[in-house]
Amino acid sequence: MDAPKIARLLEHPAIWRGRSAARLAVLPSGFAALDAELPGGGWPRHGLIEVLIPRFGGGELSLLLPALAALTQGAGARWCVWVSPPLMPFAPALAARGVVLDRVAVVGGERPLWAFEQVLGSGACEAALAWSRQLRPRDIRRLQLAAARGRTLGVLFRPRRAARESSPAALRLSVVPAGEGLEVSLLKGRGARGVVHLGSLAP
Amino acid sequence: MSRLIRQAVPLAGTHGPAASPQPRRPATLSLALEPAAAASSEELWAGLYLPGISAAMLPELARRAQRFTPRVSLEPPDGLLLEVRGSLELFGGTSALAEALQSRCARLQLQAHLALAPTPLAALAAARAGRDFTVTTRAQLTGGLAPLPLATLRWPPPLLERLKRLGVRTVGAALRLPRAGFARRFGRAALDDLDRLTGRVREVRAPFQAPECFRGRRELAAELADHAQLLHELGVLLGELEAFLEPRQLGVMRLECRLLHRQGAVTPCELKLAAPAADAGELAALLTETLRRLELPQPVRALELHAPTLLPLTPLVPALWQPGEHGGGASPQSQWLIERLRAHLGEAAIHGLALLDDHRPESAWTLAPPPAASGRGRARAPAAAGAPRPLWLLKAPQPLSERAGLPRRRGALRLVSEPERIEGGWWDGRDVARDYYTALDAHGVRLWVFRERRAPHGWFLHGLFG
Repeated sequence: MDAPKIARLLEHPAIWRGRSAARLAVLPSGFAALDAELPGGGWPRHGLIEVLIPRFGGGELSLLLPALAALTQGAGARWCVWVSPPLMPFAPALAARGVVLDRVAVVGGERPLWAFEQVLGSGACEAALAWSRQLRPRDIRRLQLAAARGRTLGVLFRPRRAARESSPAALRLSVVPAGEGLEVSLLKGRGARGVVHLGSLAP
Repeated sequence: MSRLIRQAVPLAGTHGPAASPQPRRPATLSLALEPAAAASSEELWAGLYLPGISAAMLPELARRAQRFTPRVSLEPPDGLLLEVRGSLELFGGTSALAEALQSRCARLQLQAHLALAPTPLAALAAARAGRDFTVTTRAQLTGGLAPLPLATLRWPPPLLERLKRLGVRTVGAALRLPRAGFARRFGRAALDDLDRLTGRVREVRAPFQAPECFRGRRELAAELADHAQLLHELGVLLGELEAFLEPRQLGVMRLECRLLHRQGAVTPCELKLAAPAADAGELAALLTETLRRLELPQPVRALELHAPTLLPLTPLVPALWQPGEHGGGASPQSQWLIERLRAHLGEAAIHGLALLDDHRPESAWTLAPPPAASGRGRARAPAAAGAPRPLWLLKAPQPLSERAGLPRRRGALRLVSEPERIEGGWWDGRDVARDYYTALDAHGVRLWVFRERRAPHGWFLHGLFG
């Protein structure tokens, strides 16, 4: 059997070959340096990502925005839902970064965790973002399952101290502002481990 | 073709001994069954002119009028027609029927003028004229109509004016004019009206059908205070609702549920839906969320379910693609999500975002209704040139302390951009005069701050770049 045929065979998603060849449905993050380190070469297309941050507003949204914008631009795109964001997303800035606003919905209310699970599992959304302080691993497991069921990319922003707890999320990273850019540490992912320095967050 | 149908469709009035109101029958069926009979039978229409009746009252009266005959037709804004040939004997003749109709209207405190004629238009026109008018056969109709003023036909005023100048003021005068010339000078539509008036052409009236609604009630064997048990009982009512809706291909948009107690006020519980729904399971799941938030003052003795407006249901076509694949069929999911979130978290639980054309940051966006189910696939939005905007905006600018001319927030802030001046707004009373800067705090978080250009030149935090 010749090499190209074997290569094609090995591309099958069911075949796991360590970090080099695990092919997942992914979404380019918009940052080449990050794509090179992320399992499969981008954000997972569905599943839960946990982003650990030292404090709110340190550039974590800019890190995800290129991918979110791309998700809203497709024909027949589903929604991109923000569940109980700590502040209001500023619509003109989102539009300027390429987010199609009529794909964006903001969910408020008292029970963000319940709403997040509903949103993830509904199948009505391409992506959903949520911010949370207190979560048990069992909750994250539920969210991860809901995201898989709804074929949705879920992004959960949590404080950095949560890094000590175990997490069933598909991908886990820690984001710290560094000068003009960001320092992204991959804490968990299929075969992913490492630190990426992103020089600039400019789109 | 239209002429043929017009002659054949009216249902034949049932004469003879079985003079009960005839059952409603679809027009197509009557067309197939009795074309000849339809042409030969003679109708008798009762026209009611109700000056000043409200738009809501007319259907209400029509519903009550259905006790006289199944063939009731509305003539908005102030007319009602009943085909009463088949009911004459049952109600004891024309004068007794007219009296019964009048007393019905009087009971509703409606002022009504009544006329009986073999064609609907004649009955209406005569009722509008306000005269005592009872003509039961077509042979006498033309003579009876002759003295009626033309204005009773409600033709456009310019047309009536032109006829008036010719000295044509009554129906009789108009009918005496030569037909061909009349059509040429005053329009085919006016001649058609005259033909319908005299019965030369049969007029088919759209039958009035009372809008249906669902009401269900369930007495509980024992008083219940437990939500789970209540839901179980409610499920039975929802099953009845589903059985009612399914054959009619209807769905509910609003569901009113009333929980009755032994004493005291009824506890209402209302469910609003984004799209018509008929599935009992789906409605039960939504009602669960609403009911859970409800505080019950007392145990519940009985349940009532009321669906006031029913709408045609759009059948769910299973999509070829899974949700998310090729952007296929996301619509039912998003409706479901909206309803679920609203049922649980309240009406304002979900909304969209929209841009406003304003240069002041707080006025440049607004909340919008939740977005449509599926995107239109737009090209990339043109990147706005100019100064960067933060991804997060504070609800209201937050004052910052100041030291040595620089703002502070958990330590001194470093301004890293040129100022951007944003001014204006005197026209709506929210005048601003600000110089905006990008600032970095001690932890490397990028902030959007501004300094008031007016005294006391305070610093404010307005956004985070995120």
